Amino acid sequence: MTSLMKNLMLATAVAAASFTVAQTAAAEGEKYILVSHAPDSDTWWNTIKNGIALAGEQVGAEVEYRNPPTGDIADMARIIEQATASGPDGIITTLADFDVLKGPISAAVDQGIDVIIMNTGTPEQAREVGALMYVGQPEYDAGYAAGLRAKDEGVTNFLCVNHAIQQPTVGERCRGYADGLGIDLGDSMMDSGTDPSEIKNKVLAYLSANPDVDGILTLGPVSADPTIAALQENGMAGAIHFGTFDLGEEIVKAIQDGTINWGIDQQPFLQAYMPVVILANWDRYGVLPGNNINSGPGFVTKDALAKVEEFAGEYR
Amino acid sequence: MSDPIIQMKNIEKHFGSVIALAGVSVDVFPGECHCLLGDNGAGKSTFIKTMSGVHKPTAGEIIFEGKPLDFADPRDAMAAGIATVHQHLSMIPLMSVSRNFFMGNEPMKKIAGISFFDHDFANRVTMEEMRKMGINLRGPDQAVGTLSGGERQTVAIARAVYFGAKVLILDEPTSALGVRQTANVLATIDKVRKQGIAVVFITHNVRHAMAVGDRFTVLNRGQTLGTAVRGEITPEELQDMMAGGQEMVQLEGSLGGTV
Amino acid sequence: MADTTDTDERIKEISPLRRALIRPELGGMVGTVAVFTLFALFAFDSGMFNSQGVMNWSIVSAQFMIIAVGACLLMIAGEFDLSVGSMIGFAGMMIAVFGVVLAWPMWMAILITFVICCGLGALNGWIVVRTGLPSFIVTLAFLFILRGFTIYIPQTVERKTIIGGIRDAAEGDWLAPIFGGKIGQPIFQWLGDMGVIGVFERGTRAGQPVVDGIPMLIVWAIALIIFGHILLTRTRFGNWIFAAGGDAEAARNSGVPVNKVKILMFMFTAFCATVFAVCQVMEFGSAGADRGLLKEFEAIIAVVIGGALLTGGYGSVIGAALGALIFGVVQQGLFFAGVESSLFRVFLGVILLFAVILNTYIRRIITGER
Repeated sequence: MTSLMKNLMLATAVAAASFTVAQTAAAEGEKYILVSHAPDSDTWWNTIKNGIALAGEQVGAEVEYRNPPTGDIADMARIIEQATASGPDGIITTLADFDVLKGPISAAVDQGIDVIIMNTGTPEQAREVGALMYVGQPEYDAGYAAGLRAKDEGVTNFLCVNHAIQQPTVGERCRGYADGLGIDLGDSMMDSGTDPSEIKNKVLAYLSANPDVDGILTLGPVSADPTIAALQENGMAGAIHFGTFDLGEEIVKAIQDGTINWGIDQQPFLQAYMPVVILANWDRYGVLPGNNINSGPGFVTKDALAKVEEFAGEYR
Repeated sequence: MSDPIIQMKNIEKHFGSVIALAGVSVDVFPGECHCLLGDNGAGKSTFIKTMSGVHKPTAGEIIFEGKPLDFADPRDAMAAGIATVHQHLSMIPLMSVSRNFFMGNEPMKKIAGISFFDHDFANRVTMEEMRKMGINLRGPDQAVGTLSGGERQTVAIARAVYFGAKVLILDEPTSALGVRQTANVLATIDKVRKQGIAVVFITHNVRHAMAVGDRFTVLNRGQTLGTAVRGEITPEELQDMMAGGQEMVQLEGSLGGTV
Repeated sequence: MADTTDTDERIKEISPLRRALIRPELGGMVGTVAVFTLFALFAFDSGMFNSQGVMNWSIVSAQFMIIAVGACLLMIAGEFDLSVGSMIGFAGMMIAVFGVVLAWPMWMAILITFVICCGLGALNGWIVVRTGLPSFIVTLAFLFILRGFTIYIPQTVERKTIIGGIRDAAEGDWLAPIFGGKIGQPIFQWLGDMGVIGVFERGTRAGQPVVDGIPMLIVWAIALIIFGHILLTRTRFGNWIFAAGGDAEAARNSGVPVNKVKILMFMFTAFCATVFAVCQVMEFGSAGADRGLLKEFEAIIAVVIGGALLTGGYGSVIGAALGALIFGVVQQGLFFAGVESSLFRVFLGVILLFAVILNTYIRRIITGER
């Protein structure tokens, strides 16, 4: 090699070092890539980014976050293929559309790359594509846990406000809740639509027609916010047991003033943090938890709000 | 002189309540340059659009090569041999000269049963025809945008001639040009006339008209003020007729006869 | 007046460099070389240039190319189509609805989808030429209309926004492999056996090459580029496309059927979008309501990088293809080079800005503006 070439290479290496914005010193040198299905505009995933960054720092691995800018799942498949081509030690990905992502993920697994499924997907699908494990909140299990807790807190008859009836997975939350309570789902699940005033009026009508209802479950901020308004209007706020999935500004406020007993947090931080740690330990020491990890449900009550408020949008 | 190639008899054109042409008669002979003069709004544009098939006359008759004519659209007129070169709207600056030259009349050659644009033929003909008109192109792929305004008019005229125009209508070809470019265009008109093509030269510049015109027809407010033969009329008289007489004389006096 | 004007002494001979500069492909060629050089330096061992990496950015580039060819010809004809992305989502959904929900034979679903989408393209074009409205507005309306239907139809018939099972429905169909298949498998198997390209280490496909063929997506991209290039530069219709975009009025005066040209180009753009969609659903097996989001802008960006003028009348299919290649390679390559993915937009913006400035300069040279 001529000295000119050497100089050129050296200059390149220096330039490349400054070029590389990707995080952290790679003490052990492993490289893990997290691929999500969320568009850039979805700020919820910021917690995920922070989660892998923190885990990468703590275990000394190089981590990277990738997502399709518009949330197009077909683009996501390309990103997984590309991540595979770059030969990382592990890929952490969501399974947003099983049909589309099955191929690229199994191809990665078949090339000897460890894959962990997080957030979206089911443990069964994770097993089918050959992933090590699933880290997330299985909808049915989360609902079931919520039902058990509500039963202890005295709920005997409930209303489940479902604003996303077209997504069967979300409905699983209601089914699990009913099973946790040990009562039949029956027609306790309401197809509320997504319009706030419609939801509010439907809830008001249902509660006055069914005076024996003593528990309400909402499946996210979309149905929780109007339900809070409904309860404040008919004076049942605080008197009726009220649990909800996910957190949001209104929900946090309602937890604070006692309208909502608890919010179920799927704890996205864990969905990002745990896979990195698990992959690093699997690569280094060959140890692996023997089961899937449920990152949620984490119950957020009045007492736990301080941490939520402190780290909202960062780690919570 | 032989028979007129085109005769416009008592052409009237009304747009709603507006009378744009109120009985205009003009005849044009092969190989002559017939100048159509008139101020803005005199009806020149309407008249040539009628002649080239864009408008249908409200009343009157067009006789082309001895037969009454009824054009459905400009393409009919073009096919019959009446070509119009518009002041601006005839060349596409971004396209090469040869692509412009054959625009709408592309030469074809068949390769394996599929028709392709015959670029070799187009380039050769373009260079040749432009040389005949006295313009040496750098190459047939030179974009029209790099040509001067006068050269563009010349390309447009050469194109019309090449595709068999018998009557060539030039819509104010010199109005936006400098002195030298105007001279080039006028020289081109002279060449075309000598090939036996009837040229209808629309202008409001008397000097340009006098330079190449054989006969002159003045339009004013939708009417013709008669046709004069070269040598029987002075530029001053033409100027007066265009302006409609009196006021212009006074104006001209105050401007010292410079207009 | 002299008979010959000879050469005008004020026009300087154009230097070969400037002559080369006015070729619309030039920017694309320079950009392609620059991009590959850059990534060869920064990301050579990152897997970007192994068989799988090459296939990855080739597929992504080929996707851009397919829609860029349509957008390029349409832009040269003087119009835009902002509904390309929505058309991709819509076409995919149509195939899913016909082929899976209604269970028609897949070839019929594909053909009907092509007919519907080209018809919509024609409608787009017809409205533009009939009303004289800017195509920007008309196709923006279609962006929303088509996206709306793409969400509404599956929700109404299936109560969900993703319809799967297309791959199973296409099993054994004669037309589907033309979009979703691969060619050249024996060559890749041989290369894999020879150890030239990587093979799977484990799983059911162990021993098979990781890249086991050239997807039809790439074949379509190449075919469309060749077709578009020949159509534009070697046929009468190509001359009409330039003319319609250069100056529609002048073209009409010369007897060019401008409206017909524009409507046909809208249809061709829709055709390209449908090819994109069919390849995608055949490969992935499902159609989603959010497929193709923002693809119209990616197509336009590729075309502009490739040297076409936004105002129409000038451009090149080869240039657009190179623009798509640059786009794809940069998008995927930045990742291989380890650059934070959010910076991709910064690079894209910079490239786009450079391309547009270069184009403006080129137009000045061509038209002699000062």
